[in-house]
Amino acid sequence: MNARWCSAACLLLLALLAVATTLAWQRFTAEPIAQASRQWQERQWLAVLPPGSYDNQPLQTPLALADTSLRHSRLLAGYRATLGGSPTAILLHNRFQGYGGAIEMVIAIDTHGRLAGMRVLEQQESPGLGDQLADPARHWLDQFIGRAHEGTPEQAWAIKRDQGAFDQLAGATVTSRAVIEAIQDALRYFDDHREALLDEARP
Amino acid sequence: MSRFWLVMISLAPLLGATRTIVQAIAISLCACLLTGLHQALMAPLRSHLAQGASLWASALLTATLVTCLHLGLRAWALPLAEQLALYPLLLALPCLACEQLLPQTHRYRQLCRGLGGLLVASLALGICRQVLADDLGLHIATLAPGALILLGLLLGLYNHLRPSTTSPRRLGSR
Repeated sequence: MNARWCSAACLLLLALLAVATTLAWQRFTAEPIAQASRQWQERQWLAVLPPGSYDNQPLQTPLALADTSLRHSRLLAGYRATLGGSPTAILLHNRFQGYGGAIEMVIAIDTHGRLAGMRVLEQQESPGLGDQLADPARHWLDQFIGRAHEGTPEQAWAIKRDQGAFDQLAGATVTSRAVIEAIQDALRYFDDHREALLDEARP
Repeated sequence: MSRFWLVMISLAPLLGATRTIVQAIAISLCACLLTGLHQALMAPLRSHLAQGASLWASALLTATLVTCLHLGLRAWALPLAEQLALYPLLLALPCLACEQLLPQTHRYRQLCRGLGGLLVASLALGICRQVLADDLGLHIATLAPGALILLGLLLGLYNHLRPSTTSPRRLGSR
């Protein structure tokens, strides 16, 4: 009986120690984790901009966006990158429905309304098919770079199967359509809200 | 016990987190650190605890260690932690299994052999996957099923090349 009590006391002590250690460690690492995830997010997001094209910290100053529900997607946030005080690009964070779930992308648009770069932040597409969207080796997203909403006719914003101008990801028609529609949405939004986004009203 | 018993127990992290050489080194070092610390901390406790209580103690210790490792990785090596995803947490299973499976005699020798086997297997897997995926463009090597096939091939190769310690009589050939 005595041995059993000893064992139970030991176990209780160990449990208390374990919980205390975990909590202390969590408190100790909270600040480094917050800092690291901020840096990580910044690196993910700003990778869409060409290096040297901005000298502010765009993510620190989110823009106030009006009517964020677009035709096929929803804008979550917008940021302005500036170089020497004049805007060089707008970052739009949008979310839309893919094949397997919601896709989140950050899309960079330069001051002429052309697509400067984009990156997939979140996706749950089929492994090996739709998820090649996020594979940097595939370069599928590169075909949209430099496209503007103005220069491309409305019906060209589609995959070739739908008489459009763009290649699709093999085996991922739904994903391809969703991405193209979201990009078109973002570019159209930029054209419609150009003054507000670039702050052109104020000289 | 076979030399690769620990490999079989930690199959999920081994297949999931060996996409590149860096990942493979990181996950196997995590496994060594976790199981080593766990065994070292359990050693003084064993004499004080009854059979059932020692299982609870082992689970508590594992949970603490794994949580601390996970938080530490996120704090000081976030890019690596993002690549490894949740696989370091799954290393809790080999930790728990080690405590139950290791024999009383030659405990630490068996543990070192197991960890050595795990280290070699994950390094080999990491190198093969990186070479196959990046240099030869074999997409399946980046996915977990490809890793399982590759691990099977590597173990088969090892068994083929290893000098046999079993007598030919027991193998069925005279």
